[in-house]
Amino acid sequence: MSAPLLHLSGVGKDYAKLDTNAGRIGLVLDLLRGRGVTHAFCALDEVSFDLAAGESLGIIGENGAGKSTLLKIIAGVVTPTRGRVDVRGRVGALLELGSGFHPEYSGLANIDLAAALLGLTPAEIAAKRDEIVAFADIGEHIHDPIKYYSSGMVVRLGFAVATALKPDILITDEVLAVGDESFQKKCVAWIENYLAGGGTLLLCAHSMYHVQKLCRAALWLKDGRVERSGRAPEVCQAYLAYHEEKSALTKRPTGVADAALVAAAGYYALKSLDMHPGESLPESASFTVSGEAYSPDGRAPVVLIGIVRADGTPVYGVATDMDGVVPHPVAPNRYAFAIDFPSLPLLPGKYLVRGHVLDPEGVRLFDTLEKSLTITGAAREFGLIRLQHHWRMGDHDTAVALPDSMPDRQ
Amino acid sequence: MASAPRSVAPGTLASETAWRLARHRTLFVNFFRRELFSRYLGSVSGFAWAFLHPLALLAVYHFIFTTVFRAGAMNGKSFLLFVAVALWPWLAAQEALQRGTVSIGGYAGLIRKVAFPHELVVYASVAATLVLQFAGYLVVLVVLALFGEPVRFEGLLLAIPLWLVLAVGVTGLALALAALQVFIRDIEHILLPVLMILMYLTPILYPLSLVPESMKAWVAANPFGYLVERLRDALLEGRLAIAWGDAVAVVVAVALFAGGRWVFLRLSPHFEDFV
Repeated sequence: MSAPLLHLSGVGKDYAKLDTNAGRIGLVLDLLRGRGVTHAFCALDEVSFDLAAGESLGIIGENGAGKSTLLKIIAGVVTPTRGRVDVRGRVGALLELGSGFHPEYSGLANIDLAAALLGLTPAEIAAKRDEIVAFADIGEHIHDPIKYYSSGMVVRLGFAVATALKPDILITDEVLAVGDESFQKKCVAWIENYLAGGGTLLLCAHSMYHVQKLCRAALWLKDGRVERSGRAPEVCQAYLAYHEEKSALTKRPTGVADAALVAAAGYYALKSLDMHPGESLPESASFTVSGEAYSPDGRAPVVLIGIVRADGTPVYGVATDMDGVVPHPVAPNRYAFAIDFPSLPLLPGKYLVRGHVLDPEGVRLFDTLEKSLTITGAAREFGLIRLQHHWRMGDHDTAVALPDSMPDRQ
Repeated sequence: MASAPRSVAPGTLASETAWRLARHRTLFVNFFRRELFSRYLGSVSGFAWAFLHPLALLAVYHFIFTTVFRAGAMNGKSFLLFVAVALWPWLAAQEALQRGTVSIGGYAGLIRKVAFPHELVVYASVAATLVLQFAGYLVVLVVLALFGEPVRFEGLLLAIPLWLVLAVGVTGLALALAALQVFIRDIEHILLPVLMILMYLTPILYPLSLVPESMKAWVAANPFGYLVERLRDALLEGRLAIAWGDAVAVVVAVALFAGGRWVFLRLSPHFEDFV
């Protein structure tokens, strides 16, 4: 077995807490004497994980949980106070895109600098330059100082630089949500291609949807420590459950008033979520979820419909972009959708139907509505859904039970 | 945007050393050009300015010392030549220290986002200043010679090594000051008056021989004063013999460099949080 591309063991980082100038002088003296930071704020502690080539890991957690610090340690920008970090490859970091650029210098000069930082020789830099310029696709502006660029242009150049240098590990923040649509598609396509080609991804995101879409494993940081790590869906689920628990007291009612508030602020929103034939239905009945989404910019949002058991265990979820469909415009900025489940195979019990609205890129989650659903019946099977099955005893079929052929037992 | 393979824990691979050096050279060249171009050469007239500046200064000193003060000959040479040979190295050292001290701040964006050896920033800043100032020094010497001053150009054989010794010492001081400046912002402001005082305490505008005996030992102990005397020996008298004191000067310069770099390397892992 080959060594992992990235190995962290017991990594921790203390930041100095300073409020006075005297404290700064004291800190300098401590550092010169080889002592650690004495008045410290522990931003990260005891973080250990391995990342093998071809793996994708999502890092989730609240603001201030230490995600940025961890990414910076891996990128080599921050020296850890404790622990060991081994990186066996080139790291391409897309952290707060473009901030590593020098504003006074042209795009080309900044490309050269970025390449020099990676250790390319002048000849290698010259060879890469055209490729980067072509990917950034900002035309003649490449000769202008970065300070005259729009933020979208900086992002284009940043992404072009970080990716053209073929990193072994790509570290990225939620930078995918910046830039115009066509460039975003280009970036997502590049990342998918990169992952398909055996690339290794370290993603830091607040959007669980995003993490689950791109990462197989996830790591949840809480107050600088690893709260949980493992397969992405499980970690995301635990993280979401934690949030629901945390906001239980102030939990907003699922209603139109709130959605209208969000819509007024200029975000994508879910205006309504309706269920047919109703909130209670028998097993194997046909079931339809429909609703209307609001878009502030006239672009159709992505709608995700999910069913979870009352305790939060996910049963099934599907988004419009997964199936290649788009909500239908019914009025300016309003888009209708409906999804039919011809014969809902849920076993009797209580469930929640959730509707989510994401931006048209399917990247950021904007709004959620939730309805409860009760499936009635007397089925005695275990679990959540009825799987199609077929018993065979001896050489003879003795019983066949298919959801379609089951009589309603109400 | 990107960083290279590395191991943060102690005991890095020896095989990486050559690769690192090559990487550092490319980066140093990039920083060096950035420093050079951001200073004078950003505009078309910038290059001319780099050479006009020392000449304008020279003209002003000529006006002050020769026309106004009517300063007499100093050690058999004109006062202007006597001062010019020593003043430019001082101005070079002063500017290198001042720019070197604040150099880290100019790379704050990079330091917060990208892993690279921070000391390269100070090296590039000091090197760019000294290269430009040395070019200005040569211009001044040539112009003085054209006006009939007896410049002994063979003295450059010794003057160039003396400048190199100066560069090593100044780099060491700049490393320490640059690292301290990141944490203690006052360094930059304290530096200017301190350098002013040091300039007058160094035998630049006067020869060491005029200093009263009781204070001579103190003034002579100034390492920069020693370099100035040696530059005058070389460029005014054409004396090229190596003295024992030169070896001491080299040792002092290397010690300053080693000490300054030690301070810098102790503090630089914490720059990211303070720049």
